[in-house]
Amino acid sequence: MTAIAHATIVMERSYNASPARVFNAWSDVEARKRWSAPTDAIRIEYEAADFREGGKDVSRCIEPDNADFVATVNYIEIRKDQRIVFAEDVVHGNKRVSAALISVELAPKGDATRLALTMQIASFDGAGMEQGYQFGWSAALDNLAKEFSQ
Amino acid sequence: MTQRSTTHATFVIEREYAHPPAKVFAAYADPNMKSKWFRGPEEWKSTHTLDFRVGGKEVSSGGPPGGTMHKMNGEYWDIVENERIVMCYEMHLDATRISVSLGTTEIKPSAKGAKLTYTEQGAYLDGYDDAGQREQGTQELLGQLETFLNT
Repeated sequence: MTAIAHATIVMERSYNASPARVFNAWSDVEARKRWSAPTDAIRIEYEAADFREGGKDVSRCIEPDNADFVATVNYIEIRKDQRIVFAEDVVHGNKRVSAALISVELAPKGDATRLALTMQIASFDGAGMEQGYQFGWSAALDNLAKEFSQ
Repeated sequence: MTQRSTTHATFVIEREYAHPPAKVFAAYADPNMKSKWFRGPEEWKSTHTLDFRVGGKEVSSGGPPGGTMHKMNGEYWDIVENERIVMCYEMHLDATRISVSLGTTEIKPSAKGAKLTYTEQGAYLDGYDDAGQREQGTQELLGQLETFLNT
């Protein structure tokens, strides 16, 4: 069996919105559906969404070739307007490909909000999922800025 | 507003045991066996429940009489018999959540018996704990596992 590949990825962004507005863009599943797909060609469909400590989301990320990845999120800690910590498990076909611990930290910076996203990833398929997280979340965090452009 | 801090860290512990992988794995999988080594000091009043399957939960709590209660609360995310255990767990001191961790245990056959690699990727919350203390605590637990395997 392949050894587990462990990685940590940190991404930082600054948004022209209050921590409360940025937090709402994470807590509101309708908002998350708008910004979390990395490209227009990728669809995200939610089978369950329950944003509270102990709650679970189940979402399906469908790529243009119909390959799909099912992500199950367990919300562990939610501090309104400050921090969200969740564990995420990704299954591709019938194979579990990764587990990750993800922290979202929000802090006010003048009229803006600084967001730090830390992904601690254990991949079971070599480096593939690490690249997937890098690509997917980098694009999603860029999309998130559009939520605050009006 | 309370100031929040989150510190992320990873540590890796490698151990070699003079026992086959199946025996090491069983010490994690069997609730009675695991309760014997996965525990705090003898003088603590402790409880432990384990449902060892994907999606199953584990809760271990204990503390000195009248003192702070230490509680570990985890869920198994992936299990490959005799080879791999992946879990996510949180630690509380009384009602305060102090950390959330992703822990992976990999077991491989070795010349001596079995080589165990434990990797913990943790988010330590609001300054209550850090990776150094957690690594030390985990080293002690893996020492207790060795004592258990040897008896």
